[in-house]
Amino acid sequence: MLNRLKTYWIKSCLDWNYIFREELRTCLKDPGVLIFFLLVPLAYPLLYSFIYTREVVREVPVAVVDDSQSSLSRRYLRHIDATADVRLMAHCANMEEARTLMRQRDAYGIIYIPESFSRDLNRHQQTSVRIYPDMSGLLYYKALLMANTDVSLAMNADIKVERAGNTTEQQDKVTEHPIAYEEVSIFNPQNGFAAFLIPAVLILIIQQTLLLGVGMSAGTAREHNAFRHLTPIDKHHTGLLRIVFGKAAAYLLIYIPIAVYVFGVVPHMFSLNQIGSPIDLLLFLIPYIIACIFFAMTVSGLVRHRETCIILVVFSSVPLLFISGVSWPGSAIPELWRHLSYVFPSTFGINGFVRINNSAATLSQVQNEWFALWLQAIAYFFLSAVVYRRSIRSARRNVAQHWRALRSRKTEQALPTP
Amino acid sequence: MRSIFHIAIREIRIMISRPIYGFAMVLAPLFCFYFLTSLMGSGLPTELPLGLVDNDGTSTTRSLARNLDAFQQTSIVQQYANVSEARSALQEGDIYGFYYIPKGTTRKAQRQEIPTVSFYSNYSYLVAASLLYRDMRMVSELAGGAATRSVLYAKGATEGQAMAYLQPIVIDTHPIGNPWLNYAVYLCNTLLPGILSLFVFMVTVYSIGTEVKRGTARRWLTLAQGNIHRALVGKLLPQFLVFLLMGMLLTVYLYGYLHFPCRCGIPTMLLVMVLLIMASQGLGVLMITFLPTLRLGLSFASLWGVLSFSLSGMSFPVMAMHPLLQGVSLLFPLRHYFLLYVNCALHGYPLSNALPYVIGLLCFALLPVVLAGRLRVLLLTYKYVP
Repeated sequence: MLNRLKTYWIKSCLDWNYIFREELRTCLKDPGVLIFFLLVPLAYPLLYSFIYTREVVREVPVAVVDDSQSSLSRRYLRHIDATADVRLMAHCANMEEARTLMRQRDAYGIIYIPESFSRDLNRHQQTSVRIYPDMSGLLYYKALLMANTDVSLAMNADIKVERAGNTTEQQDKVTEHPIAYEEVSIFNPQNGFAAFLIPAVLILIIQQTLLLGVGMSAGTAREHNAFRHLTPIDKHHTGLLRIVFGKAAAYLLIYIPIAVYVFGVVPHMFSLNQIGSPIDLLLFLIPYIIACIFFAMTVSGLVRHRETCIILVVFSSVPLLFISGVSWPGSAIPELWRHLSYVFPSTFGINGFVRINNSAATLSQVQNEWFALWLQAIAYFFLSAVVYRRSIRSARRNVAQHWRALRSRKTEQALPTP
Repeated sequence: MRSIFHIAIREIRIMISRPIYGFAMVLAPLFCFYFLTSLMGSGLPTELPLGLVDNDGTSTTRSLARNLDAFQQTSIVQQYANVSEARSALQEGDIYGFYYIPKGTTRKAQRQEIPTVSFYSNYSYLVAASLLYRDMRMVSELAGGAATRSVLYAKGATEGQAMAYLQPIVIDTHPIGNPWLNYAVYLCNTLLPGILSLFVFMVTVYSIGTEVKRGTARRWLTLAQGNIHRALVGKLLPQFLVFLLMGMLLTVYLYGYLHFPCRCGIPTMLLVMVLLIMASQGLGVLMITFLPTLRLGLSFASLWGVLSFSLSGMSFPVMAMHPLLQGVSLLFPLRHYFLLYVNCALHGYPLSNALPYVIGLLCFALLPVVLAGRLRVLLLTYKYVP
């Protein structure tokens, strides 16, 4: 009894090892799979970081129509030009001229100072500056609005002080701001685009490349198999757990260095936010990668041909990015889509990673996501086992049928036809 | 003519027999159209969760918090005892920012000692933080004004006089084309055509690439009597018609049903959409001609399709990118589409004002004419390496 158990155990380990090495070898030998397992994870983060590396828009070109032509309006415009956000590219005689500049896309906004600007201010009446931002990008709007708001508030404070006729400096300060305020951009101090988008993209890259690579590997296995099955029939592909664990271990081995590069090296190279504790990050990423691997193995059950997985997977990156709650606020996502998002490891992965990496959350602060990822890992493990089990069974059935058909044909041939 | 017809029939048979076509041409695009437009709903997220740390706890600070909560986009979900608790909630993702009123704020304000309040917004969530920032800054400005205003009223100033004193200069914003600052208008108008264009790339590459892979390219060419132009027209025409239908559906859905701003009228945008689809097909032919192995061709198509979203400049302006990328962006049909959309639908200028981009899209569409010879040689000689 003990002896049988021992031989069984040894056989299992040998099979496991065989499948693990076989999968590793096919992955590393197949240039199609290598594109997704190596090239994309290595190159995409660099590409994206390069695109967004400037983080913010500076010096948005803006046209000015100054109908007031007074020292006050000139002071206002001088301050605007001095901001980092906006650059005054032309002083136009009228709105028509400014519109022409907008139309040619030389200017991305217009600042209009009315003729009554200086007169109103001197008469102690409220006056307004009109701005017309180009809405093709919200960052143009933001730049123009911020520059004008900042300058107008500063000038308002000056004007109030001039009018108040205070005698001491302290009184001036009180007139400027009875209550002062300060704004803190916490966890992304430069309000940058890269610091906001890249962490989510990094997490997504891991899941998507695994889906693509594992899917392609499964598609290849089917194409090479005479009966379009996921698993061949040989003495090693007998135990279900050996197959599932053997393959998963191969993918895990490939993704450990990839993950170190994507989450450790890339943020460092582009000096993105990276203030989380490395240990917490590591502990968080382990279930994420495992969940992604089993998720990919489950989905690969749907892939019939090598290349179809590309068509199935690639487009989903856009919806997945939006559903994760980073680019579109999670609290504003409709109920239906929020439930759908729980299916994908990337949802929890992005949420947890952004918080650990960008805002130094500890593992206990992202424990919901952490447990959810383990839950997904377990659920997808069972699902992938079901996928492989069905494949093994139908493979055996097909082979048995084929064999029987062969044998009956042989006996028919052996019999003399009457 | 007849050979084109025969090839088209053959292509339609292929499209019907393989489910991946139905998925990539109809099902997935439709899902994305519905998904993204319904995700963004009314276009502006409301009731974003905000924290409050009120260590002062006077009626003044409470009214300040009430004012903040009254904003449509802000909702104070929780009060925290101190900053570290609020910071922890920020890290746990319960809130996107918090407002901090230190102890003694009211007392200092009354003594004219200039207290300082602060507000924190977590810009790891750029959209949410930007919206909260706007409200919190507005409230802070008003808070300073509130004290002065009551004094002015007491002195007998009218409301106009008081406002003229508090805010001598106001900014009057007129966002061109999207006065509601609607995010759905800002994103969906380019994202959805981008997704459609991605599928056009893929289907074009896939349909030609499978001919090479399965060794049926010769039969395809024979049906066209060896004429590659006829072969391509016959193959791409049925796909074009399906994608045209999807593109028209999208345009009518966006501008006719959801009433996104379209100052040029729907027909012009339909024309631009037709150009985008043709351009994407043209570029798709280029992809498979240069990388005739199906997996490489499809990888190229994915790369280009996915990068389109970034390099179109819809979210992060192209002018803020590296100069190299500013040039590269013109190699993406979606960039041209985006500029045409801004020109026509958003700003309402005639199509002729953005003629270079129309020509750009036409150039993409005409690529197959230039590449046909090369493609023909390739179809006849290329051996697929698995």
